Amino acid sequence: MPEARGRWRFAGWLLLAGALVTLVAWPLLRLLLEGLDAGPGRLVDAVGAVGLAAVGNSLWTSALATLAAVGAGLGLALLTERGTGSARRWLRLAILVPLLVPDFVTAISWGRAYGPAGLTARLVGWDLPGLYGPAGIVLVLSVAAVPLAYLVIAAGIRVRAEPDLERAARASGATPFTAFRTVTLPLLAPVLVAAAGLVFVTSMNAFGTPAVLGRPAGFGTMTTRIYQDLAFSSADVAFLRVVGLALLLVVLGTAVVAVIDRATPSPERGGGPAGTPPTASSAPWPAMVIAWAGVALTVVLPLLALLLTALTRAVGLPPLPENLTLANFGRALDAAAIVGLRNSAVLATAAATIAVLLALLGTSLAGRRRRLLGTAVTLTFALPGSVLAVAVLLAFGATLRDTLAIILLAYLAKLWALGQRPLAAAADRVPGDLLRAARASGAGASATAWTIAIPLLAPVLAAGWLLVFVFALHEVTISALLYGPGTATLAVVILNLQQLGDPLVTSALAVILTALVAVASAALLILRRPGWSWVSLP
Amino acid sequence: MTGAIGSLLVVLAVLLGACSGAGRVRPSGSSPGGTVRLYTSVTQDTVDAVLSVFADAHPEIAVETFRAPTGELDARIASERRAGRVGGDVLWGTDPLSVQAYAADGLLARWTPDEAGAVPAAYRADRFWGTRILNMVIVAGEAVEPMPLDWSDLTAAAYAGRVAIPDPGFAGSAFGALGYFATSPAFGMTYYRDLEANGAVQVQAIPEVLTDVAEGAYAAGMTLDKVARDAIGQGSPVRLVWPASGAIAIYSPIAVFTDAGNPDAARVFANFVLGTAAQQAIAGTGWQPIRDDVTGGPPIDGPQVAPDWNALFQQQDRLLEEYRSIFGG
Repeated sequence: MPEARGRWRFAGWLLLAGALVTLVAWPLLRLLLEGLDAGPGRLVDAVGAVGLAAVGNSLWTSALATLAAVGAGLGLALLTERGTGSARRWLRLAILVPLLVPDFVTAISWGRAYGPAGLTARLVGWDLPGLYGPAGIVLVLSVAAVPLAYLVIAAGIRVRAEPDLERAARASGATPFTAFRTVTLPLLAPVLVAAAGLVFVTSMNAFGTPAVLGRPAGFGTMTTRIYQDLAFSSADVAFLRVVGLALLLVVLGTAVVAVIDRATPSPERGGGPAGTPPTASSAPWPAMVIAWAGVALTVVLPLLALLLTALTRAVGLPPLPENLTLANFGRALDAAAIVGLRNSAVLATAAATIAVLLALLGTSLAGRRRRLLGTAVTLTFALPGSVLAVAVLLAFGATLRDTLAIILLAYLAKLWALGQRPLAAAADRVPGDLLRAARASGAGASATAWTIAIPLLAPVLAAGWLLVFVFALHEVTISALLYGPGTATLAVVILNLQQLGDPLVTSALAVILTALVAVASAALLILRRPGWSWVSLP
Repeated sequence: MTGAIGSLLVVLAVLLGACSGAGRVRPSGSSPGGTVRLYTSVTQDTVDAVLSVFADAHPEIAVETFRAPTGELDARIASERRAGRVGGDVLWGTDPLSVQAYAADGLLARWTPDEAGAVPAAYRADRFWGTRILNMVIVAGEAVEPMPLDWSDLTAAAYAGRVAIPDPGFAGSAFGALGYFATSPAFGMTYYRDLEANGAVQVQAIPEVLTDVAEGAYAAGMTLDKVARDAIGQGSPVRLVWPASGAIAIYSPIAVFTDAGNPDAARVFANFVLGTAAQQAIAGTGWQPIRDDVTGGPPIDGPQVAPDWNALFQQQDRLLEEYRSIFGG
């Protein structure tokens, strides 16, 4: 019996090591080898002025989006975390709504709301200048990133900002602003750096937003350049540029993660006394009004405009009751969309199931090895989808090109961490006594796992599954680079439709996708209501 | 944990197996079967309509479609050639100029359809055969004054900065129109120079032109008859103007790849598209079928013009380059 168990354990190890090599090590090595093969000189030549412009564009739009999102996130977090009450609870939920909307859908919806022929242009004759171009990209990237920044900062305020110290400062005669500047802000500095790093990396990796808003203006970022060169060009130099840009993104991403890592204090140094818990107090109403107006203008109005477009009978008609119809949904669900829907469902289900099983396997490992695994999968989660897609294509393109399997491999590389992190954290909380008691009563390892550990972990497993499912369902960066005949995902179908320029059908399909994502996310919220800060923070 | 490992092994094997199974079953016996890979840039509604009647007539052949606009399809085929061989069996293009470029590169097999006689001589070559006709027309906003009547009107001062044209590098039909204007004695490349000088704007896709005109961003533009007709049918505030000198008729050819993995089934499919059932399905979607013995197509409201396609073949690169020198890129 012990021998058999040893064999199983060995098989498990082998499987995990195999997955790590297949999904992470080999593709990245293959990318590196491709770069070394070309040599730095040829790579630099290939990247050239076009590539450098894309790098510059990525850097500055991401930097501005980071400033905006962290600023807004800080303001909102101070508003919701300094006090209790139902107004704050509702605001907290509203801030997180953008997490439910795929980023390229947000970009499309902004076009419908604030574009040259959008809702505001129709209602009040005003459209947002520069929406299709860098300014619009910065705006929409910020909107999409506010929930991320908010989650990190709000969590930080809960454990780090000490209201007692602030009260002491105020009692000693400091103005609210001085107290904030000299007490709260320095305490929050590491949290702000962490939030900024996260938003910056996310914005650098963003593809949907610049793809939708940048193209009409001929404005490209690193991710859209990679897409252009891989999907729309056949020249060798374009492919070398893809490799060069992908390697550069790896370096930039790793550097930012390293900076965050050094700036963020380790948990041991972190949690001081949480201070007096915030008291119930009415929120300052002007701040609440501004916050709600922000949510309404950046999230609600665009989604409303998207929905109205999806319901409008013909392009160019005002969205009045007599012009509304459901016909666009029927037109949108053509053969290609149905295939896309099926592919997205298959990929998301497979990715979620395998990621959770891998996480379960990984969690059964002991101490240090588990942490190592955690680091490895978190690293790939931080890598842009474009890079993983290019790496996986180089590693497996010869045999798996154009199959759903190659997309699945890249999804797993990207999303494994989403299953791993919450499970690893929860596994630490499974009481050891219970396990030991089971073993002492004669239960084997397998029986112990199935009767004690798995039931205890079931909610986390379900949550991890849903989390991967939601991400995979609206993923577009990887699938846009890897799809072939019969393997386009629903998100790719929408992106391609959007490029053709029929807003009615595009909006209808975008509404369908968003509804699917929202339903899956709602299930996730119900499952993980308390303490869901890891939802976006693997 | 043993159960988890066991089930993981099983799930991994099953899923990867299921996902990677392209299932390209080799036809056995006399009747071709298996899977046909269709590479196409024709509009999705046309593909859907034809595939639905094909499935009824040939349930033994599955069709896997890769559909993308001409420019993107070109890039895909080029990158596949670089990697070794083209993965498609059938090429169904939008316009003859793009498709002929592949024939010139030796990518298309010589092939004569069963009903070759039904395809008019002007709409075929020895390796590719027309399947439907697209009519490039003018679309204008309902309230535009004065209404443009012909192509030459679009360069008039009345439409300065208010005309949208589709990108020939993206849309095959726009490429076909470029071929016509460039070689027509009445227009020539000067026509594009005049458009540019008059502030005309290049957008990307055919439906995009229609959307921009319907939403009032531009007064008029070049688009396809069926796209305009569909929008008008739904109530869009636009008008279809059949140019007085003629709509530009562009045919969408079908061909079989030299490297086809399943050539027999590929020919069955290509033959089928030229047959009456598929032609009727095409007519039903509002595009003009290639066979004049098939009725039920869209109304042809005026003269149709076309360049001498054969004379244009081999000039594709020069045409696009010259166009790019005017409209950038």
